[in-house]
Amino acid sequence: MTFKEATNVVYSAPREWTRVHPVSPYLGSGPIFGFIAIYGIARITPSWVAGDSEEYQAINMLPPWVLVGLVVLAILAVIGFGVLSWTRNEYRIGDESMMLRKGILFRQNKQARLDRIEAVDVVQPLLARVFGLAKLTVSVAGGAGSGIDLSFLRLGDAEALRNEVLALAARAKMPDAVAGFPAPGTQGAGEVGYEAAAASASAPSLRDLAANVGVTHTTTAVPAAPERDVYAVPTGRLLLSVLFSTATVWLGIGALSLIVAALVFGSAVGEAILSVIGTSLFAFLAFIAAIGAYFWQQINGGFNFTASTSPDGLRLRHGLLETRRQTVTPGRVQAVLVRQPWLWKAKGWYRITMNVAGYTEDQEKVSTLLPVGTLEDVRLALSLVLPSATDDFLERAVVGTGAEDGFTPSPQRARLVDPFQWRQRGVRAGDAALLIRSGRWTRDLAVVPNERTQSLGVSQGPLQRLRHLASVEVHSTPGPVRPLAANMDLDTALDLLDQQADRATAGRGAGRV
Amino acid sequence: MTWYEPDADWTYADRRLIVSRCIVLWAFMIFIMADFLVFSFVFASPWIIGTFAALLLGLWFTWLIYRSVTAHAWAEREDDLIVKRGRMFRSVTVVPYGRMQFVEVSAGPLARAFGLATVQLHTASTGTDASLSGVKAADAETIRDRMTSRGEARLAGL
Repeated sequence: MTFKEATNVVYSAPREWTRVHPVSPYLGSGPIFGFIAIYGIARITPSWVAGDSEEYQAINMLPPWVLVGLVVLAILAVIGFGVLSWTRNEYRIGDESMMLRKGILFRQNKQARLDRIEAVDVVQPLLARVFGLAKLTVSVAGGAGSGIDLSFLRLGDAEALRNEVLALAARAKMPDAVAGFPAPGTQGAGEVGYEAAAASASAPSLRDLAANVGVTHTTTAVPAAPERDVYAVPTGRLLLSVLFSTATVWLGIGALSLIVAALVFGSAVGEAILSVIGTSLFAFLAFIAAIGAYFWQQINGGFNFTASTSPDGLRLRHGLLETRRQTVTPGRVQAVLVRQPWLWKAKGWYRITMNVAGYTEDQEKVSTLLPVGTLEDVRLALSLVLPSATDDFLERAVVGTGAEDGFTPSPQRARLVDPFQWRQRGVRAGDAALLIRSGRWTRDLAVVPNERTQSLGVSQGPLQRLRHLASVEVHSTPGPVRPLAANMDLDTALDLLDQQADRATAGRGAGRV
Repeated sequence: MTWYEPDADWTYADRRLIVSRCIVLWAFMIFIMADFLVFSFVFASPWIIGTFAALLLGLWFTWLIYRSVTAHAWAEREDDLIVKRGRMFRSVTVVPYGRMQFVEVSAGPLARAFGLATVQLHTASTGTDASLSGVKAADAETIRDRMTSRGEARLAGL
């Protein structure tokens, strides 16, 4: 790439206050109110025009020009409100942070520090996608509501802005790398981690380039960091995996029992069912909608799921109608959970969810690392987010029980307190990460890198005391993963607490963040 | 080993916390007992049982408050803070200073009257339960400052 070319690029992240796309106010919740209003008017109009209802006599008393005036006023008010909220929705990029100010009555000023950025997502809800617009969501570490949402920008602009923000964020975090710490994730483990390691090894040079572009040519846009696809989820597998779920089983049982009832008791049941549906049609529809929404969520979230690496971090693309392109900056995944629901055992499929500090809303949508994948995919996924924590343990770690694979299991004494899971529970403290497995039918394996441990807790109830047991919890950032090693032997638990505290300190010393 | 007892300089919660918590408890309990007493006069005498039940409950809770306050302690070690609490359901939390996001000192009117405060440590995890109750108000400020400076010295980001 030559800098000459780069200077010709039109878009660069605005250093001055800039407005979002003018259509934005009409794409949010506005259309819904519009539809409701139109529906209301459409319902009233026929009986009003027919003049057979006395309810609307009041309207007839008004002269026509007043009615027309009211309609025009309403339209003007909607347009005016849109324009006003558009002029009051501005953002800009500063040296240290990204800023947003919006709101008409209640003004809101937000700042997201660039060095605290955890993830940047480009989201396209269906309506925005029709217009070629996108929402940019910048997540920072700092609890709910601390991130910045820019809705909406042109898709190209949103992507360019994302690239530049990520480059600036990488530069803002640079001082740490300069101070002698290795870049996160450079120690790839064995064959598996090799590719990820290669990707992150090339990161510094590209970062330097991006940083230089930023310094010497402040008006040039930053090109997208090169991406390399690592794994994808085939649509067939996704659909099958949704089919192989507990929800489907229950649905099947429900349908079967209805059919059986209808066969045994004859048409009386059919009539009864029909009358129930007829009398409470709304409840029935709501029920159907809820089931549909569940399946829709699963399919839409995992559709076209592709994970790739780039110097900017982990890239995840997915979505059927609402598409989402996530970028999680390097080393920001706090914990992962590898889960195998019982129906997936025969297929050998797994799902991986993760904790990312900045993601505080829409966990279901943003926290999936792998919607459904084979063991090989699991290996690749873990090598992406925790390169140092991956080795050949995986094969057995997820499916094993008891003391297999170097795990410390719960003692048999735990049976009283934990009759179902005690045999599956186990903990393995590695040099790089703590592994906790559990689950009788749905198998879980939680992986927390030592250096990401926030704090540790050990607790014991009266029954556990009777059995000389205790539970150890590793506190991670909010998210779907809540690593808890329940009902371990007391002495083991206390040793683990001490050693894990030391390992966490050592881990933090070795590699920042 | 029966429970986590590392060599550390444990600071126990101030005993005045027992009094402060009992005031809240008994304000409520006396209200309940008075209700039952009125009932027993207005309707029938069996309602008086409620008064005694409330009294017993109050005494039991008082015992629990005593037990839990005397079990609550914390120790500042070189790299981390340990907080222990509870007797029946007991727990120990270890918070490395480098993980601290901010420290919060709070004191309600009753606590202020007793010269007490609560110091709460926040990490990036909402699961971290590291609040120190019954800290002497004079100590609270120094603890906060000490934690903050130690946190800055060992800051590890996320």
